[in-house]
Amino acid sequence: MSIRDELNRLDEEMADELKSLDTLNALETLRVHMLGKKGQLTSLLRMMGQLSAEERPQIGQLINERRERFMKMLDERQAALQAKEREFRLQRERLDVTEPRRLPEVGCVHPNTLVLNEVVDCFTGLGFEVVEGPEVELDHFNFELLNIPKNHPARDAQDTFYIDDNVVLRTHTSPVQARTMTTRKPPIRIICPGRVYRADEVDATHSPVFHQIEGLVIDEGVSMGDLKATLDAFARRLYGADIHVRFRPSFFPFTEPSAEADLTCVSCRGQGCRICKNTGWIEVLGCGMVNPKVLEMCGIDPQRYSGFAFGIGLERITMLRYGIKDMRLMYEGDLRFLRQFRQDVKEG
Amino acid sequence: MKVSMNLLKRYAPIPVSPAEYQSRMIMTGTGVEGIEDLSEQLQHVVVGRVLTCEPHQNSDHLHVCTVDVGNGDPLQIVCGAPNVAAGQLVAVALTGAKLPGGVTIKKGKMRGVESCGMLCSGPEMGVPTELYPSVGDAGILVFREDYPLGTDVREIFGLNDHVIDFEILANRPDTLCVWGVARETAAAMGTQLSLPAISVREDPDADIHDFAKVEVLDADLCPRYAARVIRNVRIGESPAWLRQALYAAGMRSINNIVDITNFVMLETGHPMHAFDLDKVAGAHIIVRRAREGEILTTLDGKQHTLKGGELLICDEHGPTGLAGVMGGEESEITEGTHTVLFEAASFDRTSIRLTARSLGFRTEASGHFERGVSPQTVLDGLNRACQLVNELDAGDVASGLIDIYPSPVVHQPVTASVSRINRLSGVELSGERMVEILRKLCFQADVNGDTLTATAPDFRQDVEGEADLCEEVLRYAGYELIPSTPLRGVADGKRSASMHQNDYLRTMLSGMGYYETITFSFLAHKKLEMLGLPADDDRMNALAIRNPLGEDSAYMRTTLLCGVMTTAQINQAHGNEQARIYELGKVFDNVHRTAENLPGEYQHLCMCAYGGEEDFYSFRASVETLFSRLGVEYVIVPEAQPWLHPGRAAALCAGDKTIAVLGEIHPDVAEAYELSGRVYIAEIHLPDLFALSQPMGYVKGLARFPAVSRDLALVVAETQPVGPMMSAMREAGGKLLEDISMFDIFRGPQVGLGRKSVAFSLRLRAEDHTLTDDEIVRVMNKVLRTVSEKFGAEIRA
Repeated sequence: MSIRDELNRLDEEMADELKSLDTLNALETLRVHMLGKKGQLTSLLRMMGQLSAEERPQIGQLINERRERFMKMLDERQAALQAKEREFRLQRERLDVTEPRRLPEVGCVHPNTLVLNEVVDCFTGLGFEVVEGPEVELDHFNFELLNIPKNHPARDAQDTFYIDDNVVLRTHTSPVQARTMTTRKPPIRIICPGRVYRADEVDATHSPVFHQIEGLVIDEGVSMGDLKATLDAFARRLYGADIHVRFRPSFFPFTEPSAEADLTCVSCRGQGCRICKNTGWIEVLGCGMVNPKVLEMCGIDPQRYSGFAFGIGLERITMLRYGIKDMRLMYEGDLRFLRQFRQDVKEG
Repeated sequence: MKVSMNLLKRYAPIPVSPAEYQSRMIMTGTGVEGIEDLSEQLQHVVVGRVLTCEPHQNSDHLHVCTVDVGNGDPLQIVCGAPNVAAGQLVAVALTGAKLPGGVTIKKGKMRGVESCGMLCSGPEMGVPTELYPSVGDAGILVFREDYPLGTDVREIFGLNDHVIDFEILANRPDTLCVWGVARETAAAMGTQLSLPAISVREDPDADIHDFAKVEVLDADLCPRYAARVIRNVRIGESPAWLRQALYAAGMRSINNIVDITNFVMLETGHPMHAFDLDKVAGAHIIVRRAREGEILTTLDGKQHTLKGGELLICDEHGPTGLAGVMGGEESEITEGTHTVLFEAASFDRTSIRLTARSLGFRTEASGHFERGVSPQTVLDGLNRACQLVNELDAGDVASGLIDIYPSPVVHQPVTASVSRINRLSGVELSGERMVEILRKLCFQADVNGDTLTATAPDFRQDVEGEADLCEEVLRYAGYELIPSTPLRGVADGKRSASMHQNDYLRTMLSGMGYYETITFSFLAHKKLEMLGLPADDDRMNALAIRNPLGEDSAYMRTTLLCGVMTTAQINQAHGNEQARIYELGKVFDNVHRTAENLPGEYQHLCMCAYGGEEDFYSFRASVETLFSRLGVEYVIVPEAQPWLHPGRAAALCAGDKTIAVLGEIHPDVAEAYELSGRVYIAEIHLPDLFALSQPMGYVKGLARFPAVSRDLALVVAETQPVGPMMSAMREAGGKLLEDISMFDIFRGPQVGLGRKSVAFSLRLRAEDHTLTDDEIVRVMNKVLRTVSEKFGAEIRA
């Protein structure tokens, strides 16, 4: 058989084999069979010696053409097979994406902490610094400096836990304010969050341990209008832009004038409901202008400086914020309760 | 304080609805808890005359009556009361009438006879005997007085009224009476205050000094004591208006003299006491402190042994009453009383409060004195009582009065600046407007340029300076005028360092699936003992509360363990099968005290986990994560604590400090706490943790030269702890050993009994060049030599 015939036969063989094979392995075998060191085309090249000088370049060219064509054919077929194989694997790996799995559990801080963070963000944004102090406190700071002298009814054992005659569990975070006033010079702009104690039995709205956030501002020319604006900002931040603050005259020993600050009822938005006893307002915090006597006792000149103070019950605003009906849930630590909380990420 | 609105209106008109009144009072500083409409409960009940009364044909106890209710059309009513009879004046509930308890009267047939209404008994109308003495419990009410037929019985019973429940502020004891709220009402309503002019008609033939003598031995506790004497006392029933006023205030009517004293307290805020003067030995009142062990029987029949120091009212025989709290049994007013001594006084509020508290009872009177009764207005109470004696013709008032008032109190004018008041309030008011408001509140007030001068009325004890005047002016000008003026000036708002630190901890803990819990800072000593701590452990010496709510909350916690274990128990009891919880809070160190001699207060973190895949190592890993992310270098060492499993307890230490103790709860302790399964707990002393936290500094560049990995399986004795071995390897590896980790532990016959094969993976790298084989071999040999010398480790064949 002539080389030319042989080449034609190889063309046919190549076409047939390529057509019939369907694995990458078979393709590799064919590649070796055709183009390998001992492959068919290579053997033809070895037979070139038998050819005449004129024929040699022609045949050489034909063989080289074949080599290139075969390589191209094999590569194309390989790519097709690979694609088919991948397609097959992807089919095989198909999952039921709806099959349920247990979620990795991400915990959450206590609801008090969620709300405290909002409150602290609000006040630090207004230039307030967070200051903390001891929970077991000297009578001097908890009462005396706040214009609640010895034997004042507010100090009755029914309200205050005593350690001894001079030491109490702080009944508010105001002693932190007193400590700050005696150690720093105005301007002062602080908030004091923390745990406080009152000798109340536990029920749905009372607890012997709870948390307060008190604020204090002292500077020249501080007015009750400044207090109003500060609390307005707090109310809007926590409960929304439609919430307003209403001042109502009240009495606290360490402020004069004093006020109860009511907020638009967060439940009915002021329309009147059961929660606000149809008044449209809910009592949220006590505040007022720092009593000049307190300033004086703390070594601040009341002729030059004035200031305001306010006290927020953290549990109260947390319960309002999340509609918690029973305070006891807050201290029980039942995960069925705690798992419901998460950080809100939407504005107001 | 409950007050009848009708009574209040006698002194200050209220031209608005109750709801409007409530809101106006609240906004001017007088709290109103609520207003109850007494008339709502009883409607369409009128006075009627029983014309005829015949037995019912089908009943042995019912009667069929015809009743005239004044409209010319007598009603037929069937009545079952045994006392019904023709001619009686009775209360008739008409068809459609409403009775207390939601009862509505309908037309109906009783045993075949039509009945158009009901004849009422007192209880059916909710009318108490205190208010209307002719109301009896047996049968229907029969009026003794004559009333026009058809009169609404509410007018007779005084039920066309509202009861206002005032909430009195601590600094305004002067408003703890009708006149006090009347003053605030008139000012708030802008109406005319009309308190009665007090005048007493005295018997010129009798001089008080001939009948009684008063001595005050302890004037420090009794700044003022005043008395008057009533002779020829005619004890009797009080008139309806008086009974109704007392009823509305929640007080019982006793007799005219006692009712007068109670009414005067209600009206003027001055507690009064009436003595049967004939029973006062020597007709001589002595006010003094009690001696220790003195015995006194009060009006309520109780005997008290006194501690000494309580203020007493005595006669020549001894104590007759507890000053300002309760009178004595001996000199009580009775049917047979002929001569009465009225006492009106001002007692020291603290003394009264302490006395009432130590004897364990409070009375209306002591309540007033505790809040403060002005000595300046004592005579108003005393004379008002005598005026009522005159009006009620309850006796003859002897002339003159005894008034022991050694140091009279006189209010000094307060000087203030109009502009400073305005600066403080933020509201711009003229001096003239301030004077107008203050005068309405019974102050003497004047303004001269910027200077405001005001003298508080005698009944006010709370006005001391400019800030007080500011409040007075502002609450009547209206708190709603206060503008909203944002704070001026820039200030550096920031969280405290500890808040920052705790925030980061919380963020990490949330990420690891932990939930924050809060428990009380109290401790039951029993729960502390359940941990099995030795008696000399500092934590056993907890700070005690002098007046705790109970035994379970008698101490301040020295550890968070007890609270968190209890929380875990609650969760198990509530069916939560797995939990990761923590508490972040203070513990109180009673042993190491501060410079102020207060207990040390430290932030602790207590983590607890159970259920699911949790095991000792996963739990320890959570704790370690906190250390590692805070950049705290630590070593893990075995730990022994009584509440932890002896073989599953570890401490994380740095230097000589133990920062965290963790492990599986000891089965005995778990049992005591009613915990089931394996529960893991850790307590971390945060001040030390944060103190050791390294600042993160600058980042390192990423490695530019290749790393080499080598695995190493080492066989050691089972007892050999892996942690120290790995630390030693790390140290031996030096700078070139970039990382080392353990990936397997194998036990089995291949490695021999009592031995284990621990497989480590080491990664070596140099910062500045590609490692040579020589370097690698040197490092590996050093590591091997170290573990072989220190731990007897051999390379696994």
